Amino acid sequence: MDSPLYHPDFLARRLLLALVCTLLPAIGHASGAPTAPPADAEQVFVESPYVNIYTGPGRGYPIFHVAEHGEPLWLLKRRTDWVKVATRKNIRGWTRIADLAEIRDAGGEPVRIPLPDYSDYRSQRFNLGFTYGDFEGANAMGVSLGYRFTANLSGELRATQAVGEFSDSQTYQVAVLHQPFPQWRVSPYFMLGTGINITSPNATIVATEDRQDTAMLTGFGLRTHLSRQFALRAEVANHYLLTSRESNQEIYEWKLGFDVFL
Amino acid sequence: METGLRRLSVIAAAYLAAQVAGPASAQQDTTVLDDIVSPGLERREIREADIDSENFEVTAFLGGIMNVEDFGSNAVYGGALAYHISEDFFMEAGYGQTELGESSFERLSGAAPLLTDEERELSYYNLSLAWNLFPGEYFAFDDWALNGGFYLVGGIGNTSFADEDHFTYNIGAGIRVLPTDWLSLRLDVRDHIFEHELFGEAQVTNNLSAQLGLSVYF
Repeated sequence: MDSPLYHPDFLARRLLLALVCTLLPAIGHASGAPTAPPADAEQVFVESPYVNIYTGPGRGYPIFHVAEHGEPLWLLKRRTDWVKVATRKNIRGWTRIADLAEIRDAGGEPVRIPLPDYSDYRSQRFNLGFTYGDFEGANAMGVSLGYRFTANLSGELRATQAVGEFSDSQTYQVAVLHQPFPQWRVSPYFMLGTGINITSPNATIVATEDRQDTAMLTGFGLRTHLSRQFALRAEVANHYLLTSRESNQEIYEWKLGFDVFL
Repeated sequence: METGLRRLSVIAAAYLAAQVAGPASAQQDTTVLDDIVSPGLERREIREADIDSENFEVTAFLGGIMNVEDFGSNAVYGGALAYHISEDFFMEAGYGQTELGESSFERLSGAAPLLTDEERELSYYNLSLAWNLFPGEYFAFDDWALNGGFYLVGGIGNTSFADEDHFTYNIGAGIRVLPTDWLSLRLDVRDHIFEHELFGEAQVTNNLSAQLGLSVYF
């Protein structure tokens, strides 16, 4: 009479399970269906004694399978320092790129899985930068897009938003950067540019008008390689605003940020 | 003067001769040396694997709620784009918008509303760095083991409402569950900290938001 199959608790759980099944299309590692490995993936052979295969791309996920020496693996995709692989029996899991240091292809040629490093930092043409800094007392956030023409010379499009106690400003600039010693560990650069500064005074009671001024930009900065395709960057810049008022205005901006080489 | 010119022409001639002779003699050297000290090794060619990387993650908020101090709680809409730097860190750019409710001052005093409807629209953007902590499997019932993890996140950004921009710090935490490798469900809680002067004097406000997001890795 009290069979466990008909226990209400059991039934409720089955029902919930069915619901979860319909909601989640597939569970990654749990399905080790023995179908053929994908045709378009790159095939390599394990040269090291063994390779651990994890259920997910991280050290916290359990090892559930091991690929032996000489066993073929299919490389499916990469996430950070991990590669998703499929075995001959189409068991899919994740391995560390460091563990795949010794692999070869069908022709016996060694294969390397590329990771971004210092050489990318030196050779990539585009970089995207994010900065945080002080714009004459205001908190400033900036983004920049750089393009390297030569090892020494690069161009940059910059935008900054500064939020201060008395006024907010936005700046948009085009700048040329010269890096005299690009091979130095901490490499200095000089900057010349021009652009516009839009200043809107903070006033809750009085309606105020935004000011738009042309700005001349000079600056000096330091850049150093951090890790992979990232570089740390510190900069001081002088914004010389050509205003329509009695005198021109000078603003000093200090900032710290990082560049990503794309 | 004349000796100077002659010296110059001699130098030029010597330089030219060196340029012409240089490579030729060097080539001869290598052929001679080749017979004596030829390394009987074939250089190993290392090929780079042709493999697709999946380090970006785009998130859409399925639902969320944001409390703006003194202005009540309202639904928040938005999304985020993340780049996974390593298994430990990712950076994320986020955007969201919500509406401000009536402040208690407005309700109690019955005075004219402090802000117009347009000024009650709040939007924020931020750039944050997150640290993945405690990665592992989450278990649901007996049959399901889902990959997931917890993260701490913090960053800077801008919040704009009532015709003003407010520099904003954000800190928070979230959990992420991955039903498959490329899909994740995220529950994220943030505190958006900014200063405003709407009530006459500057006050630092803590504005909490919680959002459930669905993300796709690509």
